[in-house]
Amino acid sequence: MEPVRDWKGRATLVDLLDRVFDKGVVIHADLIISVSGIPLIGVNLRAALAGMETMLEYGMMQDMDIKTRMWEAQHRKNKQVSLMEGEEVVLNMFGSYYYMKGIYNAWKSGRFYLTNLRLLLYQQDIAEIVFETPLDKIKAIAVRREKSFTGKDRDILHLYLEGKKVARLNVLETEQFRQNIERLVRKAGVTLDRQLPEEELDERTNSFLMEGEKVSCKGKMWYLMPKSGIIAETWRPGHLYLTSRRLCWWNDFDKRIVFQTLIDRISGSTVEIKNISPVLKDEEVLDVIYNNNGAKAVASFSGKETDEWKKVLIQLVSGEIKAKEDKDKEKETCPQCGKQASAKELLEKGCPNCNWVSPRLKKKLAQVAK
Amino acid sequence: MAEGRYVYCIAGNSKTTCLGKIGVEENEVYTIPYQDISAVVHNCPAEPYKSEDKELVKKWVITHEEVIEAVQEKLGTVLPLGFDTIIKADEAEDAQEKVKDWLKEDYQKLKEKLNKVKGKAEYAVQISWDAKVITKKLIEKDNELKKLDQEIKSKPKGVAYMYKQKLEKLLRNKLGEEANKCFKNFYDKIKGCVDEIKVEKLKKEEEPRQMLMSLSCLKDKVNKTLGDELEKISNMEGFFVEFTGPWPPYSFV
Repeated sequence: MEPVRDWKGRATLVDLLDRVFDKGVVIHADLIISVSGIPLIGVNLRAALAGMETMLEYGMMQDMDIKTRMWEAQHRKNKQVSLMEGEEVVLNMFGSYYYMKGIYNAWKSGRFYLTNLRLLLYQQDIAEIVFETPLDKIKAIAVRREKSFTGKDRDILHLYLEGKKVARLNVLETEQFRQNIERLVRKAGVTLDRQLPEEELDERTNSFLMEGEKVSCKGKMWYLMPKSGIIAETWRPGHLYLTSRRLCWWNDFDKRIVFQTLIDRISGSTVEIKNISPVLKDEEVLDVIYNNNGAKAVASFSGKETDEWKKVLIQLVSGEIKAKEDKDKEKETCPQCGKQASAKELLEKGCPNCNWVSPRLKKKLAQVAK
Repeated sequence: MAEGRYVYCIAGNSKTTCLGKIGVEENEVYTIPYQDISAVVHNCPAEPYKSEDKELVKKWVITHEEVIEAVQEKLGTVLPLGFDTIIKADEAEDAQEKVKDWLKEDYQKLKEKLNKVKGKAEYAVQISWDAKVITKKLIEKDNELKKLDQEIKSKPKGVAYMYKQKLEKLLRNKLGEEANKCFKNFYDKIKGCVDEIKVEKLKKEEEPRQMLMSLSCLKDKVNKTLGDELEKISNMEGFFVEFTGPWPPYSFV
């Protein structure tokens, strides 16, 4: 029997592929380039020739797969976080960062690298930078005691970053970590705010604030829960928040917002002395009058700061009215005749001079006509 | 991008040679000598050859093999390398120097291997059988099986089913035993004809074919005894032999 060498024959080609992809002289790995960890080239071609399933069944790829994975893992492990030019690591310690994105939030752990330029958290296994900030973007630093999910208190480092962002970091040596960050930040030529930013987010606000929404006033307040089903109206403890969009009240029991109204719906507020329970008599009650889908409604709150709240709300209401008036007064140039007219009128009715109507209004009118 | 050298093989010869543009992607193939050996390379960027195009990859792989064969013809004994082995330059040295460094460092090892494969070539042997044919033969040969097989025919349906199960189990065992026996038998015979054997992984074949053994053998190019042995095996009823080669000694370096 004579050996065969025929490129058109399947056996010959498969035998060649077995050889050129898995065999041959081995060179020290440092000397050669890698096929980015995965020898796809070999797999693809062989799979096509031998039939993918067959190969999988026979574990032909498994072997290679395991090998490559190990190789990859090794390389990743060896892969240090890549630094920029002139960057030096000053401190490096294990820790975690509270990661929040969309509905996903969790403590992500890894290694913190504090360099002369950045602070970053690196996850070695996946070679990913989970969190990073240039030192000069750090505005203030604070250490706060928080309850962890284990029930123990732990010190969390809060970094107040540019753009009102707050990063929460957890390390074992919080104080050492903080001091080093402060030292380097100063070295980078940034003065930290001694005063912490006013708008400090607490756990509650984190859960309900919408993007761009800011809290301007908050405090502990009781709220008179309206009658619901067989439950009579009752006073409940919670927190009242005034944000850039709404006035809302957080129920401490339910841990959620149960009352809210948009700020432009608020028409006024009063403070009256009322008996709120057989025990609590002559208490100050803040009544907020607002427009609830066209109907006038009242929400009652009680607490130590009713007067302050009233002031804030009065300011808000007058501000809203003024803003509305201002808007009405605003002049705009008619795109057709070029004459000045009230912006409101222009948009809502059309130009009083030349009867120009905005395309949007036209559409609306057409719909109504239908 | 950094430069690199695509390495085809090591030749046991230090002749400075240019083999022309016969390389992968028509690159010029030449030798980088060190003492009495040399690396056969072409210049390329330090970037692996990769493609989704099967035909293109096939072409590359065959070219890789053909370059090695051309070198063999011109310079004698070679140690082949796998496809896409590219030595890269680093900050300190260019790729040319890196190749030399490697030759220098591994000189002893490479020399030993070159001596081992001198004048020899690699052959791939795969032996399979047709499980159906072999089973039939087994039943005929084995009294226990034969009895069982005949009894089934005389039993009522339900009992026959039980017997069939029993027979199948027994057959599986016997078939396994038979495969082991064949393996030992063939292995010993083949071993007598070659210098070195490597047992390779089996591959699944289309039913009812089953692969019994897959070997890489290193042997003298002129010796014909392996072919004769395989001839005998392939003449046995129900047995198939795939025999390819000669290959550069990929499996013995």
